[in-house]
Amino acid sequence: MKVRRTILFLSALALLLPAGALAQANRVVVLTSFPRELFEAYKAAFERANPGWSMVVVSKPTTAGITQIRERAGRPDVDVFWASSVDAFVYLKQNNLLERYTPPAELRRGIPDRVAGFPINDPDGYFVGFAVSGYGIMWNTVYLERRRLPEPKEWEDLLQPVYFGHIIMSTPARSGTTHLTVETILQGYGWDRGWPLLVQMAGNMGALTERSFGVPEAVIAGQYGIGIVIDFFGLSAIASGQPVRFIYPKVTSLVPANVGIVRGAPNPEGARRFVNFLLSDDGQKLLFRPEIGRLPVRASLYAQAPKGFPNPFRMTAGVQFDANLSAARYQLVTRMFDQVITFRHAELRRAWEAIYAAERAVEEARRQGRDVAQAERLLRQAKASARLVPVSEATAMEIAEQVDRDPTYRAAKEREWEALAREAYSRALQLAGQAAQLARGR
Amino acid sequence: METVSTERVLAVEVELDRLTKRFGATAAVYGLSLSVGRGEFCTLLGPSGCGKTTTLRIVAGLVEPDDGRVLFDGKDVTRLPPWDRNLGMVFQNYALWPHMTVFDNVAFGLVERRVPKAEVRRRVAEALDKVGLTGMEGRFPSQLSGGQQQRVALARALVVRPGLLLLDEPFSNLDAKLRVQMRAELARLQRDLGITTLYVTHDQEEALVLSDRIAVLDSGRLVQAGTPRELYENPRDVFVADFLGGANLLPGMVVRRGAAEVEVQAGEARVAAPVEGEAAPGQPVWLSVRPEHLELSVGDAGDLRGTVLATDYLGWTLQAEVALADGTRLQVRGLDPSTPLRPGQTVGLRVRSGRARVFPRRN
Amino acid sequence: MEPRAVTAPSPAALWRPRWRYEPAHLALYAALLLVVGVLVVLPIASVLRGALVDSGGFTLAHVVRFFYTPLYLESLRNSLYAGLGATLLASLLALPPAFLLGRYQFRGQALLVTWLTVPLVIPPFVGAIGLNQALGRAGALTLFLEDRLGVQFVAAEGLRGVILAHALHYFPFILLTVTNALANVDPSLEEAATVAGARGVRLLWRVTLPLVAPAYAAGAILVFVRSTDDLGTPLILNVKNMLGPQAYFRITTIAREDPDGYAISIVMLALALVAVLLATRLGQRREVATLQTGARAAGRPLRGWGPRLLLALSVLVGFLGLLPHLGVVLMSVSRVWSLTYLPTGYTLDHYAEILFRAPQFVVNTLLYSATAAGVAVAVAVGIAYLQHRGRVPAPGLLDFAATAPIAVPGVVLGIGFLRVFDRWTVPWLGVPLTALWLIFPMLYVARRLPYAVRATSAAMAQVHPTLEEAAAVCGARRWRTFRRVVLPLVLGGAVAAGVLVFVTAAVEFDATVLLISRVEQSPLSYGIYLYAQSPRGRGAAAALGTVAVVLVAAGTYLANRIGGRRPALTW
Repeated sequence: MKVRRTILFLSALALLLPAGALAQANRVVVLTSFPRELFEAYKAAFERANPGWSMVVVSKPTTAGITQIRERAGRPDVDVFWASSVDAFVYLKQNNLLERYTPPAELRRGIPDRVAGFPINDPDGYFVGFAVSGYGIMWNTVYLERRRLPEPKEWEDLLQPVYFGHIIMSTPARSGTTHLTVETILQGYGWDRGWPLLVQMAGNMGALTERSFGVPEAVIAGQYGIGIVIDFFGLSAIASGQPVRFIYPKVTSLVPANVGIVRGAPNPEGARRFVNFLLSDDGQKLLFRPEIGRLPVRASLYAQAPKGFPNPFRMTAGVQFDANLSAARYQLVTRMFDQVITFRHAELRRAWEAIYAAERAVEEARRQGRDVAQAERLLRQAKASARLVPVSEATAMEIAEQVDRDPTYRAAKEREWEALAREAYSRALQLAGQAAQLARGR
Repeated sequence: METVSTERVLAVEVELDRLTKRFGATAAVYGLSLSVGRGEFCTLLGPSGCGKTTTLRIVAGLVEPDDGRVLFDGKDVTRLPPWDRNLGMVFQNYALWPHMTVFDNVAFGLVERRVPKAEVRRRVAEALDKVGLTGMEGRFPSQLSGGQQQRVALARALVVRPGLLLLDEPFSNLDAKLRVQMRAELARLQRDLGITTLYVTHDQEEALVLSDRIAVLDSGRLVQAGTPRELYENPRDVFVADFLGGANLLPGMVVRRGAAEVEVQAGEARVAAPVEGEAAPGQPVWLSVRPEHLELSVGDAGDLRGTVLATDYLGWTLQAEVALADGTRLQVRGLDPSTPLRPGQTVGLRVRSGRARVFPRRN
Repeated sequence: MEPRAVTAPSPAALWRPRWRYEPAHLALYAALLLVVGVLVVLPIASVLRGALVDSGGFTLAHVVRFFYTPLYLESLRNSLYAGLGATLLASLLALPPAFLLGRYQFRGQALLVTWLTVPLVIPPFVGAIGLNQALGRAGALTLFLEDRLGVQFVAAEGLRGVILAHALHYFPFILLTVTNALANVDPSLEEAATVAGARGVRLLWRVTLPLVAPAYAAGAILVFVRSTDDLGTPLILNVKNMLGPQAYFRITTIAREDPDGYAISIVMLALALVAVLLATRLGQRREVATLQTGARAAGRPLRGWGPRLLLALSVLVGFLGLLPHLGVVLMSVSRVWSLTYLPTGYTLDHYAEILFRAPQFVVNTLLYSATAAGVAVAVAVGIAYLQHRGRVPAPGLLDFAATAPIAVPGVVLGIGFLRVFDRWTVPWLGVPLTALWLIFPMLYVARRLPYAVRATSAAMAQVHPTLEEAAAVCGARRWRTFRRVVLPLVLGGAVAAGVLVFVTAAVEFDATVLLISRVEQSPLSYGIYLYAQSPRGRGAAAALGTVAVVLVAAGTYLANRIGGRRPALTW
């Protein structure tokens, strides 16, 4: 009896062990940064459309996904990389981590080459776009009413003092879509206007979240009024009945969300099947689901779109997104953003709070007919200091490559930017304080 | 494993051969040899720390001796583990398994011996009947009194029909009255079963009442072994005399040597005592007199004179402590309870003839 | 053996330890050393290696750089600040009810104790979600304050939110230790002081408090350690500049071999180690202070305004402690909850989602935790047996190694696991060990082994050796004795410990988040994090959180039923 029980136990163990572990013949492992709603819907649909095939999802933020693929180069444990950020794909392609794949012609039919001027597929065939995304602003209507705040329309609107503390965004270092937003602004306004805009906007932010999903979450819950998000966060939140709205500002880019096959994928056939499924009509139409809310790349399908669904092929984007440029300075932009904005957010906020206080004081003094020239001069200096551009565009392009490649150099630069930012924001705080004192006549 | 017959197993004859066991630097048992005959009740007696429990555990196989042998019926079992020795053992704390019922506790050894279920039931019932616990099968040890736990432990030891029964101070946790009762029951059971028994105690009265033979141990060594009467009447040395029955010791000196006796001068008393071996005149000795062998008389007649320090009135008897002029204190027992004694009184003491013993004394 | 003619053994032959080591014990010892070595020692050593060794050999450069990087120093400062703040706030919450419960006797006392320990059943990172709904920027109470009193104050935000979440979760640690100590203070000590003329406040100040202080300090240190170690709560509350989150970012987004990540880990490890050692020493002192002579101080009746004030405070603390639970449960049934006191729409759909549409989180958790509990108990029983009965060299070594993880933050252990087991390729599958679900039970065994070993060892110490000897004499061989006597006697304590391992493993987050790769392998804790990351998933996250709370509550109740009334929950 004892022996029988032992055998039973061992065989139970043997059954248990390989569950989900043994390499199955027909499967595909997909590394993605997309939210649960999206990948679960696709997993179910893919497995239905490909009987006998199973899809395994590895969910990671885009940046962590890149790290994983890079660290496992040569012996990858995933087949497909599936994410929004174009420059993540450009980065992987440039580092020779993607496999070239061209889907069958019948699947490519009806997909235009470009959306709003941006190529949908990689010209070299290393990755393909399956959906289009734009970047914009979403807000909680209840929140804005409660605090009597106007609805924003453009990025510049977010610089207004009334929004101080009410805006939220994520950080580009941890969120691929946020990085695209940041690049869109940098490319749309140019480096020299873009950085000050970003820094000042961050001064108005109530918080910078670790996760891009934290932004819609906070806006939906009403913790913050306004969030900078990729469009489907807004669209899906609206679709699920939350009191929010979403707009595309003029300076936006329409960028495809992509899929690519990892070099040396252990299940190449599964990988190809998955890419094909994404481009099939079934795969494309899934995007219309309210909880997904993304824009398909097959233009003809928009006839079947739900009411009020935006059609990117009828929109003009203000920015022609340059993915190569974005990828080349990816490390530089994300690290710099972290050092100058993310990790120095408290000081930056304090500086802008002081600036707004000083502005009110100057305004008050002006109404009382006092001479405010000196105070205004100090205030201008304070604002300039609180809109720090750490390096010029030329320098940035010069050092971008070494920042990317050399961790020691990068660490040194990081410390340099951090010191610069501390310096600048404390000076701004000081100058604004002086301006306010001056304006109050003390 | 040897097959153990379910029929009555004959009691074994035990021989301990020069057993030695050290814990660290101290020897708990040193060169101890002892034979226990078939069916004999043998007691290991001694103060705590004398090595008696260690000896018992060596016999049980729970402790392995550093040297020496244990023989059962002439067979060397020194290296045999406890489970192959076919023993019954009662521990000082009973060691009943708290998670088992009385039945399961008693049946444990039978189950280990693969005894068929029906017979297990029969024999457990029989064993419980023997110790008077019929009907308690379903109880847990925590639901029993100390005396009942004791009986369960005894039943558990006996139910396997061991060749040898080992008892380690089994009654020390019982109150005095129960102890006497259990003692009688144990004696009866042991006689009925005719089982060889090794019994450990520090209680001399228990040892005297129960034993066929007593082995007195001191500091890991066997001092003297013999029947209770032998030990009581002819202790080999001061230790045995004092430990078994108690003794008043008076320093003295041999003044005359006879054929089988000597005369000893101890203080003002001159007393004759039997002796074996060497004892030349002038040799310092201890004169040992048991408390009940001193006769006390009010006044100053007798071998020794002293002052009463205290008296203990026990109802049926009276005992007293008497201080001699040199400060030596003597215990006196077995006095007529009507003797009018009070502290401070001067009394005379006389040693009953033939009752004193002498032991060598080193200066 | 040959009989010899000598009458006494020769001295040289006396000391001959023939059975010094037991072969069966040695084999078990070796097996357990291997298990503990692989699960505990290797990962910790790997973290140390990552921080202290580079291509040129031993180096302190990375650790030194930590102290020259303002961001890390700020993180260290913030972690210390949050830890101290949480400890202080937890003390304020815990001491009034502790004094009430330890000193007075009143009806409903047992109920109050249970009520006040309820916060322990909600893992802090789940509690943070609920707390956000109550006291966050859009929390019900925050809105209430603003609407009715015009006060704009957000209690649960940033570091303040971390402090609040930790204090509300961990204050029962202090409450329980102090209540126990107060109740166990030998009344004769106080009586002696009263006889000597000390009364009222002076008695409290000069005699009672010093006696209780070590217990309080031990509880407080535990709160401090748990708070500084935590990763989940800061992540959920979006606090980045703390040690846990920084280590996590470095390892997951910069590079697995990033030395800074290991340097941060070492600092966290050192911090926890110092605190745990301190707590252990205080724990030893405490035993002296509460020598029990049998008589317990009889509780005084509630009379006068002082105790009534304490009672009122305790009830207030009880309500505060329930805020996270309320927030999570309400959230789990809400359809729309935006800037209102209560949800504006209700639904059970979130439960349908996590129980029927995506049941794998719950299923995985049950599988991992049950496996971990089983293995941890088996290993713990082996270790406890060897520690108390083992004839092996240095039995304490095993115990020491197995309880070491008590001072290792979850993030650090997770990083160690990642570093070690990602390089281990599973034979015939050809994938790294970290790709198998087995990595999670392994992780949970390593993290929770200390509790299992302690509980089992305590149970083993209760088994008097004569019980085994009696079995041996009765004819049972070593294995039979173990099976029929030792195991049943130890099993109560071991199973209670196993249940605690189960529930604490079920809500483990800090190390899980580092090791998770495939969504299909996610346990509940990571599922919560995952759901919390999509706009529609917050309700489902809260529903999973509610499941976690129910699991923990049921497990704690069960463990207390099995293992006696010692609440021993810690994660």
